[in-house]
Amino acid sequence: MDVLSYLLIPFQQPMLILLTAVGTFAGVYVGAIPGLSATMAVSLLVSFTYGWGTYESLALMLGIFVGTVYGGSRSAILLNIPGAPSAVATGLDGYPMALKGEAGKAMGIATTQSVIGTVLGIIVLAVAAPVVSKFAVNFSSMDYLLLAVMGMMMVGSLNCKSIFRGLLSAAVGLFVGTIGMDSMTAVRRFTFDISYLNSGVSFVVAMIGLFGVSEALIQITSLDIKGVKQKVDKILPSLSTIKKYIPLTLRSSAVGVLVGALPGAGGDIAALLTYDQAKRTVKNPEVPFGEGAVEGLVAPESANNAAIGGAFIPMLTLGIPGDAVTAVLLGALQIHGLQPGPNLMTSSPDLFYVIVSVLLVASVFLVVFGLTGVKLFTKIVEVPKSILMPIIIILSVVGSFALRKSLFDIFWMLGFGVLGYFMKRFDYPVAPCVLGVILCNLLENNYRRGITLKKSIGGLVGSIFTEPVALILFLVIIVMVGTQTNTYKNWKKKREEKRAH
Amino acid sequence: MKKKTMAMVLAGALAVSAMAGCGNSSSSSTTAAAGDKTAETTAETTAADSQGGTAAASEASKTDYPTQNVNGIVQWGEGGGTDSLMRPLATLAQDKLGQSIVVQNMTGGTGSIATQYVYDQNADGYNLLMGAENPSLYDALDILDLTYEDFECVLLIGDETVGVAVGKNSPYTSLKEICDAANSGTDITIATTGTGGLPWEVSALVTSITGASFTQVQYDSDASAKVAVLGGECDFTICKVQSCIEEYKSGDLKMLCMLATEPVEQMADVPLITAEYPEFSDYLPWGPFYGVFVKQGTDASVVETLSAAFVEAFNDPSYQDVLKNYNINPMGYTGQDAKDYLQNWRTNTVEALTKAGAVTP
Repeated sequence: MDVLSYLLIPFQQPMLILLTAVGTFAGVYVGAIPGLSATMAVSLLVSFTYGWGTYESLALMLGIFVGTVYGGSRSAILLNIPGAPSAVATGLDGYPMALKGEAGKAMGIATTQSVIGTVLGIIVLAVAAPVVSKFAVNFSSMDYLLLAVMGMMMVGSLNCKSIFRGLLSAAVGLFVGTIGMDSMTAVRRFTFDISYLNSGVSFVVAMIGLFGVSEALIQITSLDIKGVKQKVDKILPSLSTIKKYIPLTLRSSAVGVLVGALPGAGGDIAALLTYDQAKRTVKNPEVPFGEGAVEGLVAPESANNAAIGGAFIPMLTLGIPGDAVTAVLLGALQIHGLQPGPNLMTSSPDLFYVIVSVLLVASVFLVVFGLTGVKLFTKIVEVPKSILMPIIIILSVVGSFALRKSLFDIFWMLGFGVLGYFMKRFDYPVAPCVLGVILCNLLENNYRRGITLKKSIGGLVGSIFTEPVALILFLVIIVMVGTQTNTYKNWKKKREEKRAH
Repeated sequence: MKKKTMAMVLAGALAVSAMAGCGNSSSSSTTAAAGDKTAETTAETTAADSQGGTAAASEASKTDYPTQNVNGIVQWGEGGGTDSLMRPLATLAQDKLGQSIVVQNMTGGTGSIATQYVYDQNADGYNLLMGAENPSLYDALDILDLTYEDFECVLLIGDETVGVAVGKNSPYTSLKEICDAANSGTDITIATTGTGGLPWEVSALVTSITGASFTQVQYDSDASAKVAVLGGECDFTICKVQSCIEEYKSGDLKMLCMLATEPVEQMADVPLITAEYPEFSDYLPWGPFYGVFVKQGTDASVVETLSAAFVEAFNDPSYQDVLKNYNINPMGYTGQDAKDYLQNWRTNTVEALTKAGAVTP
């Protein structure tokens, strides 16, 4: 059994286990700081581990990868500042839980779900990589466009006072997303000849400002309210709780793996899609979505971690990165003399299974490090606001600067902070705005690609009906819209009444 | 209420001081923000581990350069071709230099964001532009008013051979068939990485010689352009040897021809483009190149110190292995050699692009 012996390699070398543990531990804390991303951490490690053996450097980098993806949920739950774009959806229900004194419970669920999601992702990677990668390669521009449209549908799922306010906020986000040099024609849009605007506005910067700084500003004006005392007696969710959410976990993880495997979309999109899907399909949550629904944590946290396994699928089967981190890892493999590509699985099968195995080890450590620090972390929410809020602003400045080392990003971030403050004050939701900035590129570029390929809008729309993936995605969107209409709701109500008789 | 005002003032003051720290990160190390530090710590440790009082240290004392960390700004993303060549080189060069080289990626605008950034810093040798061929064409493409003529070349690492690639189920077996089909009115799509990117450049060269024009479909990176051809969304693309060699070996991509004067060792059966279109020999050898640059006006002794360190790193057997892995044709040019190469490349390419109508002189 070659496979088994490859899988066991990390267990024969305690150093590999240790490095994975160190990586996971560091990742949880790096990931919790907005602006410090998995991509950044892993690319620093590429130079750091240059002289190491391939397995050793992989163990450290994979540990960091798994840790940071999870770590993003920490700050989202505790402070309403997502540590990474993939944790945006986590904060929507995680933060309300913290406000109710349930931060410990929220982090416990985020941990177990992240671990389950990671493991499910790894299982798909281990058994179905070739099939999924074929699916990913054949995902056309039209399919990406429909995926982006599905993402935009989430505006309807975010708690807004009115749909108009949600749409306006999303429109602002989409507009911000168009700023900068157009990647297709190099035309500069809304840059006013300032070269630093050429690269556009990073959505991480928008995210930090709109969530972090605006929250700090809001809270500074209500300092007299005391921090919420947190319950920390029951952190680990009971087995029956986990069992209860198994169907949602499986569904969300499946979406996570598939979207993660797409070279053009990753964990952030997966988390948003599954949150939306959970909100639409879970009929009677114990607590309404947006006010601390457990389902609102389960879906995105399973999905964004399952996307890790997904991202490795095209990387290991085709040599094509599934996201930014796997792109860095590809570079690292080449530095170590390996040739990633379609032949990698046959030329170095050990590598594939060592990666699978190390990822599994990392998810075990995720349980350990995810749960041990929780009590200490919940103390953050109890810190007096006059101390906590300035710290949040500092972290936001640091995070947005660390991203690209650009002073302009700090200005943008602060500007978004003020914008977010006024939006919140006047009851405009900020989440659709972040959604708009995140999805703008996916939406615009794939639409333009589609038009170039199909020559006309008619041709593009027509292609929905000739390509199976596009047709399925289109039908999902139709169902999503259809079930929200009054006609459908009335019909359903009537049917239920009839049944009751 | 007092508390509220206090908190506001505190937050404001801290934010301003942190920003001041960030803004001056190149000259002040005491006020640098925490994030700044975190990002650099790893690289610093590497340097600290390996600083063994090398020969370069004594050389540095001559000019008093370098006395602090050097920033290496990579104009393309993490894990990309440029990034993967620069990081190992920087790791080796910092040992020779005696100071850490902190490599950062600053992406966007076909690399122009990084180019502008390095140009905006002081010409003191503490900010290196680690780039590919793109800046040579910025002015011609109206992307930016800067080109490599506004920089001093520290080291030209090497260039790459490129080829024309189609998917394994493609009906086309040669570039001529593709061009003939395009000329007879068939809509042929090429997957590109945007205006000024490699496939765009090569398709302009092809147009200038064959008269065939293609529908350009732009993707976010060369990897996604390759996926578009693998998945059959586009008819063909232009690949570097590095990014197509594995698919070529596995048969997922068919290579129609190489833009080279001699066959590529690992792809010996792929014909040269001159076999079908001898006129191409005017443009060859042509390929994207990689180099390390500093802003023009940097003290000559500083450039020399940098060049010496980078050349030594370049000649390190382990880096030569990296180049071999990546199928880079090594150059190692500095000084006048580098200048001549850059000048030639620019003249030839702009001439071809003008002829193809891709740029207006």
